[in-house]
Amino acid sequence: MAGQSDPHISLFSAEEVEFMAEDELIEIVPNLRMDPLNFICGDFGPFLPQIATQVPFWLAVALKKRGKCAIRPPQWMSVENLTQVLERERESQGAFQVLPFHYVEISRLLFDHARDDIPDMYMVRSLIEDIRDVRIHKVETSLEKFSGTSAVKIPNLSAMEVNIIRPFVGRALQAFYKHDNPEKIPDVDRPSSAQTRVANNEPRRPLRR
Amino acid sequence: MHGRKAYELVKEFASGEKGHLKIFNNELFERVIEECNEHHNALQSLIRKMQEEGLEVQTAKNADHYGALVHHLSLTRNKRCLMAYVYNRAEIIRDLAWKVGLLHELPSEIQEKFGDSEEQYFKDHSKSLKLYMSQLSLDVNVDMVPPKDPYIKVRVLEDLGSGIILSDKSANFARHSMHFLKRTDAEQYISRGLMEELTG
Amino acid sequence: MANYYNIDDILAEEEFVPVVFHKAANGVVIDPSSETNSVEQGAKVELPLWLAQELYLRQAISISVPACFSQRTRLEIQADAACVDLKSRSPYFYEFGCKIAPLVGDKTIEILLLSAFKIRYKEILTKAYTAVFTTTSKFLTLLTKEETNLYEAAQASMAAFKKWRMGGPRLQRASVLGRKRKPLD
Repeated sequence: MAGQSDPHISLFSAEEVEFMAEDELIEIVPNLRMDPLNFICGDFGPFLPQIATQVPFWLAVALKKRGKCAIRPPQWMSVENLTQVLERERESQGAFQVLPFHYVEISRLLFDHARDDIPDMYMVRSLIEDIRDVRIHKVETSLEKFSGTSAVKIPNLSAMEVNIIRPFVGRALQAFYKHDNPEKIPDVDRPSSAQTRVANNEPRRPLRR
Repeated sequence: MHGRKAYELVKEFASGEKGHLKIFNNELFERVIEECNEHHNALQSLIRKMQEEGLEVQTAKNADHYGALVHHLSLTRNKRCLMAYVYNRAEIIRDLAWKVGLLHELPSEIQEKFGDSEEQYFKDHSKSLKLYMSQLSLDVNVDMVPPKDPYIKVRVLEDLGSGIILSDKSANFARHSMHFLKRTDAEQYISRGLMEELTG
Repeated sequence: MANYYNIDDILAEEEFVPVVFHKAANGVVIDPSSETNSVEQGAKVELPLWLAQELYLRQAISISVPACFSQRTRLEIQADAACVDLKSRSPYFYEFGCKIAPLVGDKTIEILLLSAFKIRYKEILTKAYTAVFTTTSKFLTLLTKEETNLYEAAQASMAAFKKWRMGGPRLQRASVLGRKRKPLD
């Protein structure tokens, strides 16, 4: 990515991850009448006042900004559900609760643009922040258990969480891989540069979804 | 010790802030090239000596052979350091076209860090980038951050006057004045530090 | 050739190793104790890795284990790997170790590298994500180049996330332009 995000540090910037999240679908209740929109990514509409319909997030936000719709927050974003998730997240040390892949980005987009559409907005926001903090802390704890490259499995991480740890984990795994390969000690009369090259080309466990 | 000057050159590059250029170290660079020539001459004279003694240069492994080998290795090491210095700087220079944009000349603080051929390199790179974009009819170096709204609010930080004509308007861009501009128009002025984006 | 232009790879190969010459070499000044501009057979000198490695492959020299992988360092690492100042041993401790191990035929170096990295990795992880900077600055001076990269990678991505969370202008002045000068009034 030849962007302002530094390719040496991370594959995606947080803004880029957010951009991808904006393709997720969300339900809106329009208050205008408009013909269907035909995009490369699909057809949306027709838009009729008070008739709920599904659109990509970026379109929902654009309409919302112009006062043309209300956004219906996704079901998982209720105080009840989030309280449960937070509890379970705290109880189970190892496992991560199932949340939408883009829950961090989606919740921020809604808090920024549709606060009037979210019941108990402050409660919801603080619950999500707590959940996120607990999870990030848990990721760090599970990373501490690394001691080789045999297998790394942390299911149910979200896009943003993966993005935060990717640069660190990627580098660390490379280092583990390099040092955790006893057969890599070559026959003495082969040039070592060739050895390193072979090691670098071995397939690595993909970390990206 | 052999290769020490070349090491200093690479070390100097590495000590800089990541992605930032330092002044091209012409003196050290030339000194390393000189060293390469010295190694080359030494290598030649050792090989000539072996030939004069009637030895097969490819196979005879005498003290002259090993001496020549050391000079050969030092020469290739120096070459690698020189190449890495130039190559890694060229990477930063190409990046400038993306990060600072091609709208104006580069600021003098950056230009003065270029070596002689680097200046030309940047000009040529910018030129082919511009040509490519005009053939595509597309600015490929805008929207470096994923876009949101097509228009943004900006404040002018340095007096730009009224000489600037943007794609859809011209105005007097006096210092501290605020404008509502097309994002793609404003982007390069912002990355230049001539305007800033206002939010909220 | 994959690493040909790699700055760190070049710098790692500048680490010095103790060698013994099995062959004499004429016309070179690499033995400071020699009075002539040649190296005698049996001369003991220190050479940078890039030179030693190639001469070794041509059976002109033998290499012994460099000081930074000495018994003493190993004992220190076994005692408390997280607190050893590896940077002063060699800023390229791991890379240098990987390159030198096959040349001196010492498999224990690889084991040493792995065990040191396992422990120090955890330390870097906790420091990078949780500790405040003031308490880590001392710790940072002990890290090798790769360890520092690891620490900075963790810090940078967390900082970028926090910045995104706070919101604010998305477009900014290019950082390559350096610190902002105060505009003239």
